Amino acid sequence: MEITRKKFLTAVGGAGALSLALAACGGNSTSSSTGSNGKVDGTGKTLTVLFSTKPQYPQEQQAWFKKTADKFKQETGATLQWETFPTANDEMTRIQTSVVSGTGPDVYGLGTTFTPTAYSTGAFVKLGDAEWNMIGGKDKFVPASLGISGPDDKNQIGIPFVSRPFVMAYNTELLQNAGIDKPATTWDEFSEHGKKLTSGDQFGLAIAYKDNFDPWKFIWGMSIQAGNKLIDGKSVKIDDPTVKKAYETYFGWLTNDHSVDPASVGWGNAQALAAFAAGKAAYFPMTSPLSIPTLDKSAVKGKYKYALMPMIPPGATSRPPNGVEAASILSGDNLVVADYSKQKDLAFAFIKMITEKDAQSDYYSIFGELPTNADAAKALNNDPMVAPALESAAKSVATPFSGAWGDVQLALTNVAVQSIPDLAAGSVSDSDLSSRLKDAQSKSQAALDRAK
Amino acid sequence: MSIEATRKNRRTAPGRSAGDGPSRKSRKRKGVTERNRPLWLLAPGGLLMTLVILIPLALGIYMSVIDLDQYTLRKWLSTPFIGVENFIEAITKTELLRAIWISVSFAIISTVVTVPLGVAAAVVTQNAYRGRAVVRAVFLIPYVLPSFVVATVWKTMLQPDGIVNTVLHNVGIEGGLWLNGPQSYWTLILVEIWAAWPFIYLLALAGLQSVDHEVHEAAALDGALWWRKLRYVIFPYLKGPVSLAFLLGTLNHINNFTLPFVLFGAPAPADVNVLPILVYVTSFQSFRFGLSAAMAVVSLILILIPLFIYLRAVKLDVHEDGVKK
Amino acid sequence: MSTRLSEKQLRSKKQRVSARTGRSAQVTRLMPTPLIAVLTTLLCLLVLVPIAYIFLASLNTDAGVAGGEFWPSQFSFESYTKIWTTVGLGRGITNSLIVAGSVAVVSAVIAIGTAYVLVRFTFFGRLTVLRGLLGLQSIPGTLMVLPVFVLFSSAGTYFGISVIGSRWGLFIAYLTFALPFSTWVMVTYLRGLPRELEEAARIDGASNLGILFKIIIPLSWPGIVVSGIFAFLLGWNDVLFASVLTRPDTATAAIALQVFSAGQEGGAIPVYSQMMAAALVCAVPVVLLYLIFQRYLVGGLTAGGVK
Repeated sequence: MEITRKKFLTAVGGAGALSLALAACGGNSTSSSTGSNGKVDGTGKTLTVLFSTKPQYPQEQQAWFKKTADKFKQETGATLQWETFPTANDEMTRIQTSVVSGTGPDVYGLGTTFTPTAYSTGAFVKLGDAEWNMIGGKDKFVPASLGISGPDDKNQIGIPFVSRPFVMAYNTELLQNAGIDKPATTWDEFSEHGKKLTSGDQFGLAIAYKDNFDPWKFIWGMSIQAGNKLIDGKSVKIDDPTVKKAYETYFGWLTNDHSVDPASVGWGNAQALAAFAAGKAAYFPMTSPLSIPTLDKSAVKGKYKYALMPMIPPGATSRPPNGVEAASILSGDNLVVADYSKQKDLAFAFIKMITEKDAQSDYYSIFGELPTNADAAKALNNDPMVAPALESAAKSVATPFSGAWGDVQLALTNVAVQSIPDLAAGSVSDSDLSSRLKDAQSKSQAALDRAK
Repeated sequence: MSIEATRKNRRTAPGRSAGDGPSRKSRKRKGVTERNRPLWLLAPGGLLMTLVILIPLALGIYMSVIDLDQYTLRKWLSTPFIGVENFIEAITKTELLRAIWISVSFAIISTVVTVPLGVAAAVVTQNAYRGRAVVRAVFLIPYVLPSFVVATVWKTMLQPDGIVNTVLHNVGIEGGLWLNGPQSYWTLILVEIWAAWPFIYLLALAGLQSVDHEVHEAAALDGALWWRKLRYVIFPYLKGPVSLAFLLGTLNHINNFTLPFVLFGAPAPADVNVLPILVYVTSFQSFRFGLSAAMAVVSLILILIPLFIYLRAVKLDVHEDGVKK
Repeated sequence: MSTRLSEKQLRSKKQRVSARTGRSAQVTRLMPTPLIAVLTTLLCLLVLVPIAYIFLASLNTDAGVAGGEFWPSQFSFESYTKIWTTVGLGRGITNSLIVAGSVAVVSAVIAIGTAYVLVRFTFFGRLTVLRGLLGLQSIPGTLMVLPVFVLFSSAGTYFGISVIGSRWGLFIAYLTFALPFSTWVMVTYLRGLPRELEEAARIDGASNLGILFKIIIPLSWPGIVVSGIFAFLLGWNDVLFASVLTRPDTATAAIALQVFSAGQEGGAIPVYSQMMAAALVCAVPVVLLYLIFQRYLVGGLTAGGVK
């Protein structure tokens, strides 16, 4: 360490103020004293927690912050300080700066797909038996929700906090009018329904082709159902026929079937939701129960339901033997504890508190975020509105746990982004699609080659 | 001492009278400017800029020569030094050069359009009339709205079935795709112009204030047509401020991240894959912090070269009489 | 000096001009009135049409905005009451006013001193400093944010001053970023000022500082106001640095607004109407401040000239 410092100082000219910058290293953990009753005593200490803001529920979130802080104070004597970030960008900037400087929040709420990246920084506490015990044991969580906590059982950093599985919404009235008695269970059937449900200015499907996230989730889902996990050991498999088939199906809804509003080449998820909410589309795949408040205020109130998205890959009537029964990416928020935190015991006590059954049920009732606590999830099974989502959560599959996943995701989305002019013109040519896939393959492979 | 006294000595326009040079020099020889210079006045600014810009810049440059990514971020001080590797990769294996080209061309086009808009706005609000304050305030609004709101609004209006295309359709034009494909480049320019022209306006407005009343009078005496007066009498006064505005406006456009990010998202369509988006994606989606720092440094260098050529050409930094110090 | 006029000549000419044109405002007119009216209308339309859209969207429902409605199918002023609690807009605006306001004042003060030296005195490296200032302006913020954070956070570690999360940290950062620009605005402005006045004062025995305060500053109000406005807006509009240097208590209005840009993956519709309402509300204090200060934009020489 010392040597590097010196080298560094000489490298940049030894400016005196630079030595200030060297705060970065280390971060020693002083453990809090554990009282005789097994509770953590945090009197006089402050635990900082970084969560995402919920602009849809501002007062509710403030109230929940306060309530939770009060309870935490009562249990441990420690003060809980909340910080929030509005967007994924801000969160990443916060994480980056905190990791480099070794100061910042003790506990972070992270999107699940960001967990592999967080893991690869090595800046978050790996959970051994002792840590899991402090949280109340692994068993209290829905098993599938642990799928993206780490690369394997022994190396986990993420503690599941909420689950946000993807499902599709469908308009019961429109389906009924078209004589469809139950929602599609294969992608081919889904495409057929789409065509059947399209007439006039009403469209079968609402698809957000221009969303920054949606496209890769479709492609990943169809591919894994056909047996392609996209990352297999040290090789990326975007150049696989399954991926191409997935894109053809996904684009085909618009270009061949014409069962999607042509305007959807400009839509993000919100615009697709708005179209479904206005009753202009029969199916809206890739949504979650978080859309309930919007839909209940809309023209389709009482006329919509959720269902699992199809799990039989395009062009097939049954899943191939190596296909995976994947209803959704494993999605939601994980909690991670920073390695530099000086009060890890308190951090785990806090996480234990908010992942208990009652706390999780309460959180669901306020924000509509599905619990990861198994008991709390079970209690919701009777609600027909959220049951499909719970089932989807149980059948969620984690995206590959690799530091290179971010690049794969980016490359998959990029194929869709660059195809949009073609989509708008009416067709995506085979050669264009192939060359975009080739580009995506090589960029992702390069990223995977760097992965450590 | 009143300002009235100076009027006697004023020249019609800056930089016109060549005969002034020697006399000024001779005055200087009396020893006013060379000795007794209050150079300490430079200290506060200099100190701040060293601390908050130059040292971080040095750190940023250091980041560009180490192999910094998500795996090494935490131990960045012991991250291997890899010299120019990031730079080579940035130039040969990424879309950096294309991104710089898109950024620079878009920035220059935007500035070229905003300059006449801004100058026109300054000229029309120069003479007092009832309600002028309101108009001046209206002109400021685009500059005050947060970038992401401006971008969100335009994004909504420019949707394939949005208000812009509807209006165009009604007058018989098919608007087409604004937010993707080749047209997106012009969308970016359009929105940037809308958001940025008040910047030129403000600087031009300040420039107009330095026009002496006498100059107006002299022009009125000559009975000059209004546009000749503008062109030959007033605009020379604006040369300095507008050249500065041109330069800074262009630099601001090049570094604008929020507007293209919210308008087009990341990854951006190839036609608007501007530099800040590329740097952002490299940083926060591929987590190649070292590589993205190298990209930023390369673009900084590529921007500095034309910048200094421009500075020489417009002589922004020498005295108006052209006497180099 | 053919263009120089004696006081007497000047006066008589002025009388003749006044006699001929009637009003003295006519003399400073830069364009025919109809043209001014046309241009003003066009420019106002250019600005106001999108603003109208923002305003209408702020009265619409979120789903209506997402669905691409221009004219809302139902109107509601709810957003304008909600924003105050959603994001703590009041606190954000206060923080922004404090930080951006002090940056405006302090940067104008430092800039005028710096510019005075750069314009009126020669010294080794003067041109380099002037050009370097513009060079600094072209450094991308994304390159700076991490180093600045590391530097500021180490001030906390080594000197026990917690800069991160305080208004001071933000103030110092914005002040510094505003300086190259403010200085240049002042440089271009000061260059237009006549030297004769200063030289006369110097002969009368005035010191450098005396000249700065008694002559330069009173003549430079438009420049000072413009450089202050820009420094203010820099602090007002920044999101990048504020997002890492502030904490909930010290968050600026831009950060508070940023909350509305949160697009939840696969979830609810963004709260568009509040976003639009908050953006308009945040523009109000700036526009008001501008209305107050814009009168100084006619200060300086013109004010001295027009009686």
